[in-house]
Amino acid sequence: MKDSKKTMELKFERIIPAPPGKVFDGWLSPKTPGTPWHEKQKLLLSPKVDGFFYWLINGTAHYGRFTQIERPRRIQHTWMSRYTSGEESTVTVTFKQKGADTLMTLVHSGLPKNELSKAHKAGWNYFLDKLAKTFSGESAKSVKEPKGWRDR
Amino acid sequence: MDQLTDVLAAISHPTRRAIIEQLSKGPARFLDVAKPFDTALNSVTKHLKLLERAGLIERRKQGREVLISLRGKPLREVAGWVHEYDRFWNENLDKFEKHFRDQKAKKEMKK
Repeated sequence: MKDSKKTMELKFERIIPAPPGKVFDGWLSPKTPGTPWHEKQKLLLSPKVDGFFYWLINGTAHYGRFTQIERPRRIQHTWMSRYTSGEESTVTVTFKQKGADTLMTLVHSGLPKNELSKAHKAGWNYFLDKLAKTFSGESAKSVKEPKGWRDR
Repeated sequence: MDQLTDVLAAISHPTRRAIIEQLSKGPARFLDVAKPFDTALNSVTKHLKLLERAGLIERRKQGREVLISLRGKPLREVAGWVHEYDRFWNENLDKFEKHFRDQKAKKEMKK
């Protein structure tokens, strides 16, 4: 079982001006700019359930296994790279018709909280709180520095 | 180094955070920026250089004085990135969306 305290989820949405079938096919094609497979040093891609991908870019290898392929609604695959610290994360992409367009949602879940995200959270929360207080006229000194937010 | 690294490095030092906080109240001259710190002017200059490299401050000539002011844009941009993949997917999806918009525009031109 994954410990939710140690992993995080990122969600992105875009409205794509094309019907879901076209957007779905576009996402699985390395020819389409903006897909993870478009710019590459090496790519092996087998987009079917239990098919694998290997994607090498800027010397960083990414691996995954397709777990769901339901044209034109849903694609799900696992995702591993050095940014997942060797953990298997999950990418789920869904396509929903919105008039003549498609609402595309990408959820990347099971991402380990890395040093950057920890530093980011601690640092930014502290810093933005402080700035917000400065602008609202409250004393900025009332915001306590969080633990783990150390000076480098 | 990318901008995220530069900005995180820039705000990782208490003196630089204090400088940003001070500049958030409005532009200031170099000596005013340096005044609250019990440190050599040379050291303040180094901190300002790091802040400038991260795009967090800018210098502007006003008459004979140089005013230093805070730039909010990198702060807002970086504040949205919590993970490497935040930036990765946002940039990819923007390109993907643009590709379809360009295709649609081309089709409409032909009509």
